[in-house]
Amino acid sequence: MAAPAVKAVRRWSGLTLGLRSVVLRLPGVTQVRWSRYGPEYRDPQVDKEYYRKPLAELTEEEKYDRELRKTQHIKAAPAMKTSSVFEDPLISKFTNMMMKGGNKVLARSLMTQEVWGSLFHCIPLQTLEALKRKQFEKYHAAPAEEQATIERNPYTIFHQALKNCEPVIGLVPILKGGHFYQVPVPLADRRRRFLAMKWMITECREKKHRRVLMPEKLSHELLQAFQNQGPVIKRKHDMHKMAEANRALAHYRWW
Amino acid sequence: TMLKGMTRLISRVHKLDPGRLLHTGTQAPQNLAAHLDDQVSSERRRAISRTSENDPVKTFNEACLMVRKPALELLHHLKNTNFAHPAVRYVLYGEKGTGKTLSLCHIIHFCAKQDWLVLHIPDAHLWVKNCRDLMQSTYNKQRFDQPLEASIWLKNFKTANERFLSQIKTQEKYVWNKRESTEQGSPLGEVVEQGMTRVRSATDAVGIVLKELKRQSSLGTFRLLVAVDGVNALWGKTTLKREDKSPIAPEELALIYNLRKVVRNDWNGGAIVLTLSQTGSLFKPRKAWLPQELLGKEGFDALDPFIPILVSNYNPKEFESCLQYYLENSWLQHEKAHTEEGKRELLFLSNSNPGQLERLCACL
Repeated sequence: MAAPAVKAVRRWSGLTLGLRSVVLRLPGVTQVRWSRYGPEYRDPQVDKEYYRKPLAELTEEEKYDRELRKTQHIKAAPAMKTSSVFEDPLISKFTNMMMKGGNKVLARSLMTQEVWGSLFHCIPLQTLEALKRKQFEKYHAAPAEEQATIERNPYTIFHQALKNCEPVIGLVPILKGGHFYQVPVPLADRRRRFLAMKWMITECREKKHRRVLMPEKLSHELLQAFQNQGPVIKRKHDMHKMAEANRALAHYRWW
Repeated sequence: TMLKGMTRLISRVHKLDPGRLLHTGTQAPQNLAAHLDDQVSSERRRAISRTSENDPVKTFNEACLMVRKPALELLHHLKNTNFAHPAVRYVLYGEKGTGKTLSLCHIIHFCAKQDWLVLHIPDAHLWVKNCRDLMQSTYNKQRFDQPLEASIWLKNFKTANERFLSQIKTQEKYVWNKRESTEQGSPLGEVVEQGMTRVRSATDAVGIVLKELKRQSSLGTFRLLVAVDGVNALWGKTTLKREDKSPIAPEELALIYNLRKVVRNDWNGGAIVLTLSQTGSLFKPRKAWLPQELLGKEGFDALDPFIPILVSNYNPKEFESCLQYYLENSWLQHEKAHTEEGKRELLFLSNSNPGQLERLCACL
């Protein structure tokens, strides 16, 4: 991520009720990515369990929270957020990153959802399904002692694989004395998750034979990452090695 | 497999002898007639659309069917057929994904166990579209041959009905070309071999097989079951074109012409079970599922006295037992799938449609 640089000042006009008023934190620096909601807007509560709790069981704070919600402004829930029990925020994020040109239907079908009503004979068009089937085959082929160790839940494999791919330390180009130096820097949690997903997607898009479909390639890479092998893990280790090599430049960091 | 109404309507399929393997795949090359000795008879899971490469035998080490009312009804009728009367036509119809093809598989399995000769066409739609090599027929200049599809079918027919091929004798002499001919009274296996080796005459071999079987089933030595999936392909339009880009009608394809003759009920000694299918059909609207819509006027008149059997979505008991089966085999791996909440959600999302449920559970 680039170091916080000075962005151009943007004039913001048209103050209407509830929209954000310009909050300048540093002189000459404005938010580039902002949301249209002001700070008083609260996030929507999609969880069904929250609303099913009977009134008697609520603590003082929860009762206060409920009363507060009745008066405050609440943001609109995004279209992709459901109150389904089967929803997974990590999978949604990954699907969004895989999406090209706004084609959420295609991205979702590649990842999770079935493509009902399309081709009559088709191979598993989803990564999660392909993962599950591969693991089931291995399970049945393995002897009884190994069967307990084989993980068949595609969600656990997915989560574990992405966790294995997250780098611990990252490199940031810092301008000093006219040159850009790659300085090792600790990364925030969200940056690490983003990098893991980004590496996984780039790997699957580029380094494959042109006839191999995305779900197949993705499931293969996820399985390899689950076992701490494969190209994405290698990339993470390369990043760590570069950071180790540039240890001396760590002093250039000021935050 | 005695099928009575039980609370848990799933029955395990019994082993057949190795020689009686059935090819019930919708895509013949990838079908489940795997030639293993202890292979359970190749029925598929409740999904119809994608089982060709997603072999349930690979995933579950077994293959199971759910026993449902439409199949039970049909079996009851089949058990009480009078073989002296002309063959009765049963048409399985229903919305998409309700289980018509799998009911057909169930019937085929039953008949195979009862030692009938099963003439199974996995998908008639494959014969009217995407044909690479279309040749003019040698037998009749007006018609067209499809050597590839015919040879695939002959191969599957052979594996399914090996026993009968040596028993049934041809009743006429057939001349293939200047050098080869099949004498009268030679076993049907020879005709099939001829078709498989000389691919150019495969379509004619298929025609001969169909004609002989129809003629000889009235004699009573064996019982014939004709099972066609996607029978609306026989009377629809094709996407095949001649060299001058003019479209071909289905009658002009030799395979379709011969198949139409078999499906007519002018023979006795067996039964005809047909399935309509919108999924592979050409030029039919997506929502069409009634027989009149899918068959068109011509098809409906040709099939005219038939017994329609509606295949509908799961009722609550069937849904419950399907989920139980998935849970037993640990196909549903998501933690929340075991809960009541999860089950209710699956019920709502799939609307008890078997195909939809299968696809939903695939990714959970």
